[in-house]
Amino acid sequence: MIDRLRRILRVARWETARAGGGVDRRTLLAALALLSVAGVVLGGGLAAGVVGIDVDRDVYRVGVDPGSPYADAVEAEPSLTPVSADRATLGETADLVVLDAERGGADREVAVIASDTRKGEAAAAEFRAAVEAHNERLMATEENATAAFPVTVSLRYASRTTPLDDGATLGGADGGGGGGGSSGGSDGDEATGDGSGEGGDTGDTGGTGTRDSTGTGDSAGQEDSGLAVPSIGGGAFGAGTVGTPGAIAPPFPFASLLLAFAFLVPMNFLIQAYGSSVLDERTNRRGEPLLVTPLSPAEIVAGKTLPYVAAAVLVTAAIAVAVGGGVLSVVAVLPIAATFLAATFVGAMFARSFKELTFVTVGVSVFLTTYAFVPAIFTNVTPVALVSPLTLVVFDLQDEAVSLGEALFSTTPMALGAALLYGLGIGVYREEDLFTQKPVARKFLDALAVRLSAVEPDSLGAIASRDRLRPLASVALLTACTIPFVFVAELLAVAVLFALPVTVSIPVLLVVIAFIEELAKSVHLYAGFERGVFARTDRVAVAVGLASGAGFFLAEKATAVVQAVGLTELYVGRAAFGSVAGVEGLPVGVLVALLFAPLLLHGVATTVAAMGASRGRTRYALALALAALIHAAYNFAVVSVHG
Amino acid sequence: MGSADSRLTIAGRELAGLRAEKTILLAVAIQLFIAAFSSFLVVGLVSMYDPGALDGAEVEVAAAGDAVTDLERAADEVSGASVTRYENAGAARLAFERNAADAVVIATRDDGGGVDVHVTAPDTTVETTVIVVQLRDLLRTYEVNERAQRAEFLTESPLPLPDRTGSSPYFTFTYTVLIPVLVFLPVFISGSLVVDSITEEIDRGTLELLRVAPVTLGEIVDGKALAAVSIAPGQALLWLLLLRANGTPVANVPAILVLMTALTTLVVALAVAISALAPDRRAAQFLYSIGVLVLFGGATAMAGGPANAVARLAIDSADAATTALVVAYVAIAAVAYVGVRRLVAENGFEG
Repeated sequence: MIDRLRRILRVARWETARAGGGVDRRTLLAALALLSVAGVVLGGGLAAGVVGIDVDRDVYRVGVDPGSPYADAVEAEPSLTPVSADRATLGETADLVVLDAERGGADREVAVIASDTRKGEAAAAEFRAAVEAHNERLMATEENATAAFPVTVSLRYASRTTPLDDGATLGGADGGGGGGGSSGGSDGDEATGDGSGEGGDTGDTGGTGTRDSTGTGDSAGQEDSGLAVPSIGGGAFGAGTVGTPGAIAPPFPFASLLLAFAFLVPMNFLIQAYGSSVLDERTNRRGEPLLVTPLSPAEIVAGKTLPYVAAAVLVTAAIAVAVGGGVLSVVAVLPIAATFLAATFVGAMFARSFKELTFVTVGVSVFLTTYAFVPAIFTNVTPVALVSPLTLVVFDLQDEAVSLGEALFSTTPMALGAALLYGLGIGVYREEDLFTQKPVARKFLDALAVRLSAVEPDSLGAIASRDRLRPLASVALLTACTIPFVFVAELLAVAVLFALPVTVSIPVLLVVIAFIEELAKSVHLYAGFERGVFARTDRVAVAVGLASGAGFFLAEKATAVVQAVGLTELYVGRAAFGSVAGVEGLPVGVLVALLFAPLLLHGVATTVAAMGASRGRTRYALALALAALIHAAYNFAVVSVHG
Repeated sequence: MGSADSRLTIAGRELAGLRAEKTILLAVAIQLFIAAFSSFLVVGLVSMYDPGALDGAEVEVAAAGDAVTDLERAADEVSGASVTRYENAGAARLAFERNAADAVVIATRDDGGGVDVHVTAPDTTVETTVIVVQLRDLLRTYEVNERAQRAEFLTESPLPLPDRTGSSPYFTFTYTVLIPVLVFLPVFISGSLVVDSITEEIDRGTLELLRVAPVTLGEIVDGKALAAVSIAPGQALLWLLLLRANGTPVANVPAILVLMTALTTLVVALAVAISALAPDRRAAQFLYSIGVLVLFGGATAMAGGPANAVARLAIDSADAATTALVVAYVAIAAVAYVGVRRLVAENGFEG
């Protein structure tokens, strides 16, 4: 064991020395020079006032009389550009024309004609917002502050004292439950259960669980960094206007999210270096000397990866110190870093050239960044956010407590995914794959086939023998290992199909999910047949098909239990992830049938796919389609029974 | 003569490599993913922030205090909130505790002639955001009414607001963020391709082989650049057509394509220059990433940056200045490429 560690460390040292040679001092100097030039330019620009990230600068043209006070409002709003009213033609040179009729004194009226397009509507909305902002500025200069801002608001968040019913009655009288799209889930039914008002203390609801927010821009003294309500909306107004209605902002963890993103940025540079290093081994057979040493592939890979993991930890810790995160932030980012590295490793093992690697790296970083970042946006909104470990970082930055269960729920799947990806990649860390130029798909099949043991028709004779069951167990295990990736793929399918109307998205979703699962259950069987690990007979096909189906069933049930424990209300829908919820109250017989119907389904469908897989590529594709259809039909039946 | 031919041959060879590896498919998949996910994100966020997106959602406000009558009047003008009056603050809070109300608003007149409003909103539930947004609307209307009553104390009266119109924030997002991102992604990919292509040839020693052939170094660079630049506008066009089919009209497509091709040329020139300076792939890609980051970050932050130019072209708000900007980018790109090519042709690649 110690020996092994020493060997890994030796490879790690060598890798560090080599990496230092790649990115040499001159490169770093050049990078620094570039960055400092950028800094100077940006600083100069800021000073000169031409810099500002207004991507929407001047996108709407407003026809307004230059003498009108509305011209000032338009001028001050970056997204609007004024066009002289008498030269403006609606729809051609202007999207909006302001007719400002002054009828003496304060009796002013304004009419707006927008072109009859979505652009016109958007321009009208922007214009209204611009006038509102203009009025706020105008009022800020008034001497009589009470008349200018007669309403002072102090906003406070309070948890209802009864923890059971924290669902609000949005839309109360008409049936409860804010019925709109993504917000379903936790609200709704509980809201009708009464709150038993045991904490109905008059006076203040204060005490635990309340946070005060005066929501102003000027109160520098009160601005404490742990506040969940950044006063981004209020900064624009003048001093002395404490808590105007315009200044209150919803509890969006904007600042924490932005800081959490900072953790992801260095990963992109890290995986570029790491991917290059792995692929470097593979070009011109450079990795051969290392391969003939007594080191095992796993040791080589571990040694090569170690410096990058160390770098990730160091960088993450540095960022955590800089942005005020704690140990939890580092612990949460670690699985993300591991997954970045693991996916890049697999990509570099499969890629044939630097070009291909670039696409893989871009793909990995885009995919993982979204996967980590997007759920974190919903941190304060829904428990689904915990799918991403970055949510823990946001919690940590907000100084909110995180339970051990939440932390594990958030980090384990990603850590597991990283480990599985390394397992996949290390399988092909051998001479015949390292130094050859095979298409990615064939390398992938190789990597899968490595993990299988031979199944011969005669070995199935005495099924009882433990030795002979072992190959089938490896089939089932490999299938079970696909679960995390199936989960991610399904989540992705849900996300992509999210915007479609429900009548279209649900059927499409059911078919897509069936396809994903069938593919996951059978692609390694295809690899086994293609690489000659399995004998091409129907008996073998049935055996491995059933084994794979059973493996998937068991793994799915295991995750279903985890889900039921961890988070039952995946808003993405019960349609997608089996039927954990809503089975209570059914008779036992039906329950047992419901429990084993999926087993039957997985077994049958995968056997169909396996029969095809044993007959070559075209047959496999056809059989896979058939299996997916069977599966989709089953899903559809379940969904319609469940209602 | 063979000069143009050999460039085309090299470009063809580059493209054949891409085709064989099917990498371009992965590139398109990545872009599709970004487009789909950003749409998902925005639709999700909009449904949280735009009360209209939540069908008929109305915030129930339990109100109390001596200024509550005016608050009720304001609620009549706002569609998203309804106010129920309670006798005192305690009763209103009780209603909140019992889930009969989403929020508590206690409005009292203070000594200075203003109104003090204490708002209690539920702590971090799914609807908190919607509730707070609706409350802000209500209170702003309330503020406008109260202000109107005090008009004689003001030296300048606020401008009357135009009528409220329904509009999706998604519209602005599509043109100012989504389209620029989709148009510029192929630009970065092309530059990265050139870095890879050149450093790989140096690494494998095949660049030396090429130089034995009757082509000059300049022609090799031309061929590689040609291949990289030629694949960019097609991808952008694909996205713009897809958006158009999806009901998002995109104006000035030719001008957008010219602009993005110019930028691709500029980035490719940068890529060639970097691979000439740092022939090791790791160093080159690192420098390239930082260079592109600096270039685009800087350009986007400037007035008239490329992202804004594309947005204005696409949304059909372009003017003479935008056209001048496109011409300027073309000129800059041409100068940069010719300059880099000359440098490389004279000095060769290192390594």
